[in-house]
Order: sequence, then C-alpha cells, then structure tokens
Amino acid sequence: MTELKRKKEVSRRNFMAIAGSAAGLAAMASMGVFAGDPELKGNIPEIDIDIDTMTREEMETDLLVIGSGIAGLFAAVKGHDAGAKVLMVSKGRLGSSGQTPFAKGIFAYDPDKEKLSLDEFVATVSRSAMGTNNPVFTRQMAEHSLARVKDLKEWGFFDSPLYFNSFSKPLEERNIPVVERVMITHLIKENGKIAGAAGFSFDEAKVYIFKAKSVVLCSGAGGFKPNGFPICDLTHDGTVMAYSIGAKVTGKEWNDGHSGQPTNAAACYDGWHGMFDRKPGLTGVEVHHDLGVEQCYQAYMGGGPLAGGPPGQSGGKQVTGGPVRPAEFAENGRRPSPPPGGKGKEGGGPPPGGGPDSGGAPPPGMMGGSSVCGTSAGMSIHKSEGLVPINDQGASNIPGLYAAGDALGSYMAGAIYTQVGSSLAGSAVQGAIVSEAAAEYCKGMKLPTISKNKIKAIEEEILAPLKREKGYSPAWVTQTLQGIMIPNFVLYIKKESMLKAALAYIEELRDHHLPMLRAADLHELRLAHETANMIVNAEMKLKASLLRKESRCSHYRLDYPDVDSKNWNAWINIYKGNNGEMKFEKQPFSSWPS
Amino acid sequence: MAINQIKGCIGCGVCIKTCPTDVIRPDEKTNKAFIKYPADCQICHLCRMYCPVDAITITPDKTIPVVVSWG
Amino acid sequence: MNTYLKSSFFVQLVLIFVGIPLLILALSSFPERSWLKETISLLTILAFFLVVGQFFLSRSNGSAVQEVKMSRLISLHKVIGYTAVTILLIHPFLQVFPRFFEAGVSPDEAFITIITTFTSQGVVLGIIAWFLMLTLGIMSFMRNQLPMKYTTWRLVHGILSILFVFSGAWHMIDLGRHANLAMSVFIAVLTAGGVLLQLSAYRPKTEKVGVN
Repeated sequence: MTELKRKKEVSRRNFMAIAGSAAGLAAMASMGVFAGDPELKGNIPEIDIDIDTMTREEMETDLLVIGSGIAGLFAAVKGHDAGAKVLMVSKGRLGSSGQTPFAKGIFAYDPDKEKLSLDEFVATVSRSAMGTNNPVFTRQMAEHSLARVKDLKEWGFFDSPLYFNSFSKPLEERNIPVVERVMITHLIKENGKIAGAAGFSFDEAKVYIFKAKSVVLCSGAGGFKPNGFPICDLTHDGTVMAYSIGAKVTGKEWNDGHSGQPTNAAACYDGWHGMFDRKPGLTGVEVHHDLGVEQCYQAYMGGGPLAGGPPGQSGGKQVTGGPVRPAEFAENGRRPSPPPGGKGKEGGGPPPGGGPDSGGAPPPGMMGGSSVCGTSAGMSIHKSEGLVPINDQGASNIPGLYAAGDALGSYMAGAIYTQVGSSLAGSAVQGAIVSEAAAEYCKGMKLPTISKNKIKAIEEEILAPLKREKGYSPAWVTQTLQGIMIPNFVLYIKKESMLKAALAYIEELRDHHLPMLRAADLHELRLAHETANMIVNAEMKLKASLLRKESRCSHYRLDYPDVDSKNWNAWINIYKGNNGEMKFEKQPFSSWPS
Repeated sequence: MAINQIKGCIGCGVCIKTCPTDVIRPDEKTNKAFIKYPADCQICHLCRMYCPVDAITITPDKTIPVVVSWG
Repeated sequence: MNTYLKSSFFVQLVLIFVGIPLLILALSSFPERSWLKETISLLTILAFFLVVGQFFLSRSNGSAVQEVKMSRLISLHKVIGYTAVTILLIHPFLQVFPRFFEAGVSPDEAFITIITTFTSQGVVLGIIAWFLMLTLGIMSFMRNQLPMKYTTWRLVHGILSILFVFSGAWHMIDLGRHANLAMSVFIAVLTAGGVLLQLSAYRPKTEKVGVN
C-alpha cells in the first residue's frame, strides 16, 4: 500500500512536471515567442546572387508565343494546328498570369439567338466608341467568338474558377512546351525581320535565348502596378520591347476607368466581392459606353470618395460637365459607373472591364458604400493600346512580329469599353487568327541566325541591374513613378500644365534613374525591367495625352473638353526615331498604316 | 499585410508558380513556401485558391513603404 | 465511467492528452478559419494525441496496470484505438473535404497533389504512417483470425505502434498547421515517453526495475 502510494505520488509529480512545462510552452506560444516565422522576411537588400554563375540556354522554334493568358493559349493551340512548331514562354504560369485569371465573363455572339445582326452590332459599337474602334476587329471578335467559346467548353474552361487545368489540356494534347517563370525582356531583330527573343528565369541564374521564325506577343497590356486591380505583373513589357526594335505602338492616351473601394484599396480579391471565386460564364450582346473617366471627373470636381448609388440618388450634388457620353448610351443614372465586376448573367460575371447590370447584386463600390476612381492606373481601355496592326491578322510593321489580345492595339472595342465580356472573347479570337497567320509566315522560312555579338550585348543589358554595385532600387523608383503618374489630376483629368510637369519628372526618371536601376536578386531583376518599362509607358502616356487636344471616350482634357472631329478622327501611333527619340504620327480612324 | 502566413505547407510549389507577382519562394532548407517579397502581393488570392492544403492566409490590408527621398 | 473518474490515472491521462493540447491551441495565435475547418483540425489533433496516449493505456504501463483492472484498461484501449484510428484514417480526405464548399482547386485535384508530392518529407512520412495505422487497425480487428500466437501478435502490434507513432509525430511536427514550437515539443515529449515505455516492456524481466 505504501509502495503504491509512493508510486502514485511520483506519477503525480511527473504529471505536474509535464503539465507545468507544457503550460510554459503554451504561455510562450501566446506571448509571441514564436514570432520568428520564416514567412515574414522582408526584401533582402544584399546581393543574393552570384553573377558569375549565370548560364545561358538557347532554344529554337518556329513560332514563339510570349504570354500564357487566353490570347497566348489560342495562339499556341491554333499555331500548332496550322502546322508550326510552337513554344510558349511566360512570366507567370499558364492560366494564372495577366488579367485572364480574373476575367469571368466571355462574350459569344450567337447569330441564331441574337436579335441584332452582325452589321448592326458593329455599327452600335462604333456609335458608342465615337468612331475610335476599328470595325474590322469588332466584327472579327463577334464573328469568331462562338467558335472559341466552343473550344473552351470542350477543354473544361467553364467548370472551374481556376483556369490552369483547362488551359493545360489542349497544350498537353499537342505536346506544346511551356517555359514558365521566364521574363522576356528583348525581342531580337536580324536583317529587318524578327529572329527571336531573350529573357531570364526567376528561379535559376539563367538567361534564355529563343530563336524563332515568328513571335506572337500575347503579353497583355499593363499599368503602373496600381493598388486594387490585379495587373501588378503587367507592365507593358511586350509593347516596350517591340517599340525598342522599331514597332509602332498606339493607344496610350486612353484610360481604363475602373473604380475601387476606399477601404483596403489594395485588396483586389475583396474589392471584387467574390467575383474571383466564380466560374466563368457567357454574355450576350450588351453594348455600353463604359469604363471611361466620368467617375474620375466627378471625384476631381466634387472630392472623393464618391457616394454609392446612382449619381444624385445619394443626396450628393451632381457635378455637371465632364466627359461627353453619346445620347444613345446615356443610362439615366441606371448604371452610374462601371465597376470592376458585378454580377453577370448565368452566374458568370463580366471580365475585368465590364460590369453588366443584368440582375444580381450591385457591383463593388455601389453597394451602398463608396468608391474611388482609378484603380487600374496606367492601363488603357482593353485592346486600344499595344502594337499597331498593319492588317486584320495582327501583323506589326516588323516582319514576323505579331501581337494578339491586349498586346495588340486593335481598337476592337474602341477607346471606351463597349461590349461586356468582349475582352476575353477578343483575346481568344485574335490569338487564334494571328497565330494562324504567323504559322503561314513561318512556312518555307529558315530559322534565322542571331549573331554572337548580339546575344552577348543583349545578355549584358538583361543582367546590367544585377551588376551595378550602386544605384536605385526598382521598388523605390516604381513608388516615385506612381506618385507622379497616378494622381487623378495627372492621369485622368488632364490639362497641359500638369501633363508637362509630370513629363519633366518622368524624363528625369528616364534619363537618370532608369540607367541606374539596381537589382539584388532575380526577383529584383524582374522589378528593374518592369520599372524601366513603366517609365517608357509613362512617357508615352503623357506625350500622347498632350498631343490629343480634344476629349473623347476615355481621354479627357480639362483644357480641351470637346470632341474635335475635324482634327482628331485619328489614332496616335508612337515609334522610335532614328536617334532614339519618341516620335508620333496620326493614323485616320478606320484606316490601316500607310 | 496582404499575404500573411503559410501554415501547413507541403512544399508542392504550386503557389510559387501561381503567384503572378513572384511573392512566394521555396525555403532552401525545407523546400516549403515562404513569403519572400510581401511588398509585391496584389492580394488576388490565386495562391490561396490553388493551394492543395489551404495553407495560405491573406488579409485585405496592405502597408505601403514610407516615402523617402532616395532608395 | 465512474471508475475512470475516480482514478487519478485517468484524470491525468485526460488532462495530458486532451487538456494540454487544447490549452496550447487556445493560447496560440493561428489564422482564423471556417468553423468546419477548425472542427476538422481539432478532431484530428485530439485523435492523434489519443493514439499516442494508447502507449500509456497498455500492459507496458506498470502504474496503470496496478491501479486499474487490466480488462477495463484494454477495453478502453480498444475503444480509443478504433475511434481515433478511424479519424486519422480519413484525415487525408478530411483535409480536402472543405474544398467542396469553396472556390479553388477541386478536392480530388488537391488530394492527388498532396499524395504525389513525394519531395516532401512530411508527406512521405504521413503516407507511411497511414499504411502502418491501417495495418495496425486490421491486425487488431482480425486478431483472432490471424495465424499468430497472442504474444507474437502483441510484439508485432507494439513494434508497428512504435514505427507508426514515430512517423506520425514527425509528420505532424513537419506539416501540422498547428504545430508551433509548444505543440511540437509537447508531441515529441509524449511520443518519446510512449516509445520508451513500450521499449522498456521488451527488456528482459530482470532489468525491469523502477519502471512505472
């Protein structure tokens, strides 16, 4: 008995010891002794890479598709089916980079169901776009949309809110290689024709050289890494590298006017109120005059944030004046502002760039709360900016270089958002058509050779920020650029004095800071190239905005508030002059480049 | 602060590829994902939605670096 | 049940294997998750702790055997065993179950990604532990049908248990979203204790002194 008692005491003491130490551990846990979570490290300023270990990989293909959104998907698939050997390279991952993963509505023009004929549809879009659209591309999008939607259905696109699997299916079936997490920084031109592209990997110290007969840019558009819109991976890379080798680009004066929420303005997911969670859906004909800068004008004149609900309804004073809206598309306060998203038909919302009003809940910013304008700062209306097409097959002025989707300045919708869901549809349609043309171009052509010196020079340029011991961090330069460009009195509600002032700053960044961008690791190398591209884009935006002395669609000048049809029924093309200067030319609406 | 925590990671690497802005990297020793560049998070939640073990926590707030005259 | 409650041994057991894990969970800061996910996590954690506790609810544990009737101890061992092992057997599926109710990867895709990530030490350990546990469960259920002497069966059961708890604990410490330092140390201590207790049972009788 005594022995048992003793034993019990011992075991009780043991228990107390275990319990005590465990309680101590628990107390430590609650006091945050474990705050050393490795996940919370900040950016590391020290050089994190050995530049001498850099290797180079050269790859060859007929058709190089740059970008892995929906335009890239169709470019790869249809280029392959047209007989070309295709390789896809992407800064991100198939189906989860660029704007594609967040586009939840796709337009399909079904001639059997729609009351509006194709001609009438194109004419309606042209009236809403005030002539800024290229009707050839508007029609092309509508004409082919149903076929592309059928392809997507077959691949399972409409079955999941995530697109990786449905995008992988056709590529795997065709054994099309995809190189992911490689940022292309240079297009390579030899003897006046496209010869390939070059870039670097984020994961290993490796420079990639792609030799190709033809390149299809499906690299999307871009912005200034704005808060509240999921385009922080899009920095006009395609536009800038094409411009650098002599391609003409267009559409820089237009603005996408998506609004956002004043609280947690950077939270894209939350600001779109569950839209990212949805499976994609279909939209039918629904022509609007959307995503201009009316709301920015309201905020500029009356102060922000804007009260929710249709203008005037919330008791706030309605500001008069501002951007002109064609009477046919006046919506009588029914649709005060096109938000990022909102509910669409059949469970499928609109793509980024179109908030339909058909049923459902009010869109973000309109839910009795308030909104702010300009979340997508630095981006033009979908497909209004990008490479200037010389024909309806997305060819650029450089032989062998093509573009599709948001990388192509096709003016499919014009300088205002017109057809809901057409962004995604248009990218799919253009990707397919353009790559078929590119595959045709490749036929009978020999693989171009790229001189060793050129490769070496490009490699030097790619790695330059890594080699600088002193300089400016890309994050800081980007932050400075955002401060210059994003304010609404610079980017959206324009006037000569401010545009010139901002331009002085941007020229400073271009001349002094861009050449001194410094990267500590491969992530920062990416940021350095992105920052450089944003600086070039900022210069384009400011100069094109200064040039267009009128207001129309999503371009608004306080000092030139009216439409000037006499002088400005024209698009602005931008190209690099012989001395590296930025040059501009007008191209009359509905014409092809001369 | 945007992407906030990764707990219970199995190191499959899907989030690293999925992140459009290259915020997540593998830990050299454990091969598990860690938030290496939180400042670049665009709060799009793609990483969380693709994660097979639901390991990623994201908050809607985000701090912006302080403005300095050089950097 | 009364008998159990009266016994300080059982009170201690409940406190250690249920109370302390709950205490650690309550005091640690983990990201807030849905009610369903929290419930699943809690069930899984408690199930694992109870399985570790099985080492102390066995013949190897001298003090317990002295205090409680062996038959009661073994019946409790069985009840806890079958319950906790069932929960842990479906744990890989419970892990992806909430995916049925939210946007993102589908549960089957998530499951396949998980069990094919062989580069992960934690996943491999988990798979090993799962199969060991399955074997343990089947061997216990079919004990009388197995062509094996009871003593042999007991030895095999013990050895498999040690292997299982070792890989399971490592799996939990490596991958558990609630496995912070406190939880990890606690699980390591209990596991080591259980394994030592079990190993001590295999030592020659003459050396078995002062073990309780």
